[in-house]
Amino acid sequence: MPPFSRVERRESMAERRPSMSYTPPVIPHLEGLEKPQQNHIDLDQADVLILGTGLIESMLAAALSWQGVQVLHIDNKSYYGDATSTLTIDQLKKWCIDVNQGKLPNFQDAQIYIPGGKSTNKFKSKDYGIDLTPKIMFCKSDLLSLLIKSRVYKYLEFQSLSNFHVFENDDFNQKITNSTSKEDIFTDKSLSLITKRNLMKFLKFILTDNKDSDKKRLIFENSKTNIIDFLTNNFNLESPQINELVYSIGLCIKPTTKTPEAVAKIKRFLVSFDVYGNFPVMVSKYGGPGEISQGFCRSAAVAGTTYKLNTNLIDYDPNSKIASFNDGSKVKINEKIIISPTQLPKFLQSSYNQLVDNSLPTYNITRLITVVRRDCKEWMSNQESSAIVVFPPLSLPTQNNQSVQVIIQNGGTGVCPNGQSIWFSHTSEPDLNRAKADLESAFEKMEASLLRESSSNLENGLDEQDFRLNPNRLSSTPILVNSFKLGEQLQNFVPKEKLEIVCKVGYVQKTLINPDLTNVFQATESNNIILKSIPDSNNNIIFTNMLSSELSYDGIITETKLIYSKITGSDEDFFDVDFEDEEEFDNNNGDSSAIDDSSSTGTNGGASAITQSKSTTSIGGIVGGGVVAGDENVIEDSSEDDMAIDDDDEDHDVNDNHEPFGTDVDNMEL
Amino acid sequence: MAEVSPTTNRFAQFKLVLLGESAVGKSSIVHRFVKNTFDDLRESTIGAAFLTQTITFPETNTTIKFEIWDTAGQERYKSLAPMYYRNANAALCVYDITSRSSFNKAQDWIKELKRQAPEGIVIALVGNKSDLAEDRQVEADEVEEYIQQQTSEEDGNSRIITSECSAKSGEGVLEIFNSIGRALPVEEVINASSRGRSAGGARQQGGIDLARARRQQAAAANSSCC
Repeated sequence: MPPFSRVERRESMAERRPSMSYTPPVIPHLEGLEKPQQNHIDLDQADVLILGTGLIESMLAAALSWQGVQVLHIDNKSYYGDATSTLTIDQLKKWCIDVNQGKLPNFQDAQIYIPGGKSTNKFKSKDYGIDLTPKIMFCKSDLLSLLIKSRVYKYLEFQSLSNFHVFENDDFNQKITNSTSKEDIFTDKSLSLITKRNLMKFLKFILTDNKDSDKKRLIFENSKTNIIDFLTNNFNLESPQINELVYSIGLCIKPTTKTPEAVAKIKRFLVSFDVYGNFPVMVSKYGGPGEISQGFCRSAAVAGTTYKLNTNLIDYDPNSKIASFNDGSKVKINEKIIISPTQLPKFLQSSYNQLVDNSLPTYNITRLITVVRRDCKEWMSNQESSAIVVFPPLSLPTQNNQSVQVIIQNGGTGVCPNGQSIWFSHTSEPDLNRAKADLESAFEKMEASLLRESSSNLENGLDEQDFRLNPNRLSSTPILVNSFKLGEQLQNFVPKEKLEIVCKVGYVQKTLINPDLTNVFQATESNNIILKSIPDSNNNIIFTNMLSSELSYDGIITETKLIYSKITGSDEDFFDVDFEDEEEFDNNNGDSSAIDDSSSTGTNGGASAITQSKSTTSIGGIVGGGVVAGDENVIEDSSEDDMAIDDDDEDHDVNDNHEPFGTDVDNMEL
Repeated sequence: MAEVSPTTNRFAQFKLVLLGESAVGKSSIVHRFVKNTFDDLRESTIGAAFLTQTITFPETNTTIKFEIWDTAGQERYKSLAPMYYRNANAALCVYDITSRSSFNKAQDWIKELKRQAPEGIVIALVGNKSDLAEDRQVEADEVEEYIQQQTSEEDGNSRIITSECSAKSGEGVLEIFNSIGRALPVEEVINASSRGRSAGGARQQGGIDLARARRQQAAAANSSCC
């Protein structure tokens, strides 16, 4: 492979693999080898070796291999996903042991608690998919665009998440449910006229184009002001609204968050609302980053990446470029070796430590994950299976300095059986004892609220105003608007029963990424390990980062592109792929007119079909590429894919709009 | 195919996964089924998330669509992801009748399927390259013996479909997919979906089609204002 350079454009996929002349490589028989997993890696050479199948590494593998780079992608675990994996309970047990034995660098203090014996706490490990780094995806985000562009979305299923609860004054408030527009988010509750006016003024400001000179100036003047002061002084907003804007909508973690960052984060939420329906974020079914990394690995495999799990790199000679593996195989790596920090080979440990210890601050993320025997529907919007709960700073009895953020997912998301849910909570509090206390305290508050809600008389606590008919739905079933009203008496509530716990897991993850993502969006050689050169490696080795504490996927693609650029010289052709067989593969339905009926049911509904999928009567509501085909719809589908892939303008447009907040900050400070 | 009125035709979709040792002709069988071609082998796996093909059963007025997932080489070092098996309704375990070891591997894959795949998955054990009968290493009675043994272990619950075919000549290929189609719980899926519930058909309802909404978003962008 010739070295890459900016001026020489590499040939596109289509040019390099013209459809008719491509001859497949001959795959030899593996005669006589009884256990395929003990096979040697059957490659003489590869261009890039990647260690670890985490989210960033998997996206990188796919991006490179679609540009014709020969990638060898290995993992020292028996599963995909590395530090971002989705694990079963049995896998998680073993994982905790490995962490505590120091086998998984950058993780520590793992504890797993499974109450009861086999008879009182029955569960099937396989029914659970527990993310080590759970995340949510904004409906306008670079990840979403990339999933479409790369077609990886076809392997995945996404579900909406619209309920964001914020805990304040020892009470839960459900703020955003059932909003039908951005404006509704603010007006759909009993606020004074003046508060409403102030909120609308701020909303207008937020949604103003970032190039607007007044907005630019105001943000610039306040680039060092914290967001709380900014909202108080410039928009006369009061504490409940500020908490909601900053911690729930903005998902900021501390009161000292600077105005440009917070404004960008609040905007991220608002522009994501109403893109796919009345919700700002989505979660992927069966698991988050663990599932998405599997999707990108599959995409990479389709493009020719070689995969082998359970494999360690044991030696690498930067001069001969020969990499040796624990299965006895040796492969020449023509270009770079990319190494995830949880896959660090022994012989590189000291180089890695040297780089980190000397110059890079480490941040802690403490997580507490609890599987409970409750579906927690009380906290979720009708037809949804996920919700967010945020405990703003100082809202807990532990006087938490930073937000505790919780993702709740029940059986409807495929991560646990029906009737159960998983509470994924985390904090970036640097003091680990405080962090653990904060998470336990948040858990207790949620438990108390849940038990109180289900045990007291619902009828007594609610009045007519707590119900509202949703005019958008045909059914006239009243929708519970304020399911948390009963939380008002939370202090006085003594639970009669205990919440049944299936499994509780706690651990600490380290990362070199600042929670504000500044060293991702403004990465330099001095603040990001990706850009550092490794001593004695001939510049052939790149270390990647653990994921940040950020609740969304923001920053992940930016990091992947950083690595991609370091390997290829530019990120211009990152997933610049012409999927040549698109029409072929969608238009192969022999007798499609015969199934027109079912397909039209599935597609007619349009946007409304998304939010009202339960009333859709065919499997047409299915996700992604699982299109129920009739010829017309198939053609429609492929043309919109073409738009997504070919139309650069549109992509840029979307990218401009969604603004990962770091780049926004950058603009603001110009 | 039979002329049927669109309003009365019934439809169901299923996910089918391929398994088997490298070079037994997994992709070739699918290409024969989907495109009725042989020689362009791997070319069109490129870019395709999965291939799809429909078959119709005129006697029950039913059309079923297979969403066919190829291994994309990830089977080579036993590195298939859980995603591959998830919600699979059928599996095609392929061996090469001229290779005994490929038949042993196919049995390993069936074991793996029972561990990883959803319960009730329809399994077809298929010997490819029947056009090379003179080099045959796997005899029909061996296959039969293996199936007997499996069936007794499984209390007769899960029947494994067995068959031979030649992706090269096309002989027997369509028949395999027909038998799989007949073994699938088509009625269940159709009934469940007509009640608005999901039950095992390739994917579940309630998700968001990212690409479709994107187009609507583009259209809406012109009319919305803030």
